[in-house]
Amino acid sequence: MSDYQNVSSLLKVLCSANGTSGDETDAANAAAEMLKKYMNVEISPLGSVIGTLDGSGVHILLDAHIDQIGLTVTSIDETGFLKVAKCGGADVRVLAASDVTVHGKEDIFGVVISTPPHLASKEDEGKVKGFDEIAIDIGLSKEEAEKIVSPGDRITFNGSFDELLGGRFASPCIDDRAGAAAILRALELLDGKKGNAKITVMFSTQEETGGSGAMTGAFSVQADEAIAVDVSFASAPNVSSEKYASLGKGTMIGYAPSLDFEMSKKLKLLAEENEIPFQTEVMGGRTGTNCDEIQNSGRGCRTALLSIPIRNMHTAVEVCDEADIENTARLIAAYIAERGGMNA
Amino acid sequence: MLKLIKELSAIPGISGRENQVRDFIIEQIKDYAEYKVDPLGNLIVFRKGRKPANHKVMIDAHMDEVGFIITDITSEGFLHFAKVGGINTAVLAGRRVKVGSKGINGVFGIKPIHLVDKEDETNLPAADELYIDIGASNKEEAFKYVQPGDSAWFSSETVEFGNGFIKSKALDDRAGCAILIKMIQNEPEYDMWFSFSVQEEIGLRGAAASAFTIAPEYAIAVETTTAADIPGVKDDKRVCILGSGGTVSFMDRSTLYGKELFDRALELAKGKNIPCQVKMLVAGGNNAGAIHKSRGGVKTLSVSIPCRYLHSPACVIKYEDAESSLALVSALAEDFAK
Repeated sequence: MSDYQNVSSLLKVLCSANGTSGDETDAANAAAEMLKKYMNVEISPLGSVIGTLDGSGVHILLDAHIDQIGLTVTSIDETGFLKVAKCGGADVRVLAASDVTVHGKEDIFGVVISTPPHLASKEDEGKVKGFDEIAIDIGLSKEEAEKIVSPGDRITFNGSFDELLGGRFASPCIDDRAGAAAILRALELLDGKKGNAKITVMFSTQEETGGSGAMTGAFSVQADEAIAVDVSFASAPNVSSEKYASLGKGTMIGYAPSLDFEMSKKLKLLAEENEIPFQTEVMGGRTGTNCDEIQNSGRGCRTALLSIPIRNMHTAVEVCDEADIENTARLIAAYIAERGGMNA
Repeated sequence: MLKLIKELSAIPGISGRENQVRDFIIEQIKDYAEYKVDPLGNLIVFRKGRKPANHKVMIDAHMDEVGFIITDITSEGFLHFAKVGGINTAVLAGRRVKVGSKGINGVFGIKPIHLVDKEDETNLPAADELYIDIGASNKEEAFKYVQPGDSAWFSSETVEFGNGFIKSKALDDRAGCAILIKMIQNEPEYDMWFSFSVQEEIGLRGAAASAFTIAPEYAIAVETTTAADIPGVKDDKRVCILGSGGTVSFMDRSTLYGKELFDRALELAKGKNIPCQVKMLVAGGNNAGAIHKSRGGVKTLSVSIPCRYLHSPACVIKYEDAESSLALVSALAEDFAK
């Protein structure tokens, strides 16, 4: 039943598209194109991709966010370097001497400046410059730059979709293209056998800047239940394996006061019954994901969270394991089949 | 020469592992010159000119680049490493590398910013907290692909961008190697010696031997040097400016360049209308430091292509500076030899 090649090729296509928060059109189009294979698709006023498969039974919303973190141009300085602000939770520690793409009138290449060693003082050792001090070198004078780049243009972090050992992959936007890939894969696994469940899929915008896409999308959808699929922390050196999940050990079923306990328990039961590897992620209040917005949309919506463990979140080398995406997809498919009455 | 610079920069060759770079250079020069590989791995080249030289001149560029050597593999399959050459820790986290003889993909991981205390958001992890993740699940899996002692190098696409700029790893000093190759391919006026040296980045090891073997009267180290013509840097700390030509040094941390030679370089550049600038800070060092102390002493100059973000995966030069450096080094070599 597993077709790992398919998950990674899905993910590769999604990761090749560009979609910084508020400027998601390219990534949304790529995801919409793939979703059209299964259902009719619309674009919401805030740019989210929403597709629906009708049914007379329970209405289940599957959400993954389509935006990625990046930077935005704030000004062009006298020498043609671009000053920037972050767009979403970018990490300034991982930007020095990195390659970026500036999405101006055309896409142009740039490098984030880094401080040469001769200028590094002892007291600055181990420190990086803040976002207000860094700049992007695009190799153009101010006049040349102004013809292509304007304040507000988005900047993405370059990085091809690189295969590591053991079915693991690195890319700058695994967060949350992995979630979108898991949902698309779940639809493939279901192969239309959803019973009487009504399914809405939402690839939502602006999660990284507060969840406006999911909040407004969920209001329009008015589902009975929702499963948000996002990424979460995998253990690594300096990220304790006692506190955090392990890469490759399965999808993470979320428990939190704001999440629907019955849904969490049902997901766990189905994972056990279907021998789907899973891990548990427990949060003390809200989740910091689209669940928080979906739960409170309109009349309210019972919400669950499945997370795909990744390393190096919000860097150009987010690392995931394709087995975790596949297992997330299997659990989503099992949940829909169950709720659609297919197992009755 | 642009094509040469791009091809040379893409080749892996950290200090002590320069063989692929050397093989490439031999292919480029073997039809034009006599060459030999010395005991340390330096490529020593004699190019016959139209006339015998009255003074023996050696032109040097180093083949090695900064990178990493794998020191250990953890039980979880992560790689520990040591830096090879002077690399600022700030340019590692979030970057990609190629590892070992198979050149497998790896990344420098970091604890996600979400899990870092507010006051540490602009603090780097300590150098010994950094590691390379190749995706292995354990030590045994990693060992199938990597052994301690293997090298790793920045994975960095070579890109032409902006108004004549080139970005790549290893422009230090493959851009210099490209200049030497061009000089060999263009028949020089006088007989000329060249050293493509190993192990510059770990303390000028190779050039000390090649200078001893060649025993020149004059030498020119062809290099890249740090340019800080970037935002937030005051004029007096910019060192040199991209687009202003080859950089001639009067003093750096390894060499006091002879005043007479330094003046001669500036006069010659002026006379021939070759763009040229003076390095405006006493910083850095290069193979001139080893060469000028060889045997009874060698009159030595260095001409450097200004390079932003030196020793990072994204070194940036302006191509026209490589061309003016080629013109200046060629003119100086002829002037010294006559």
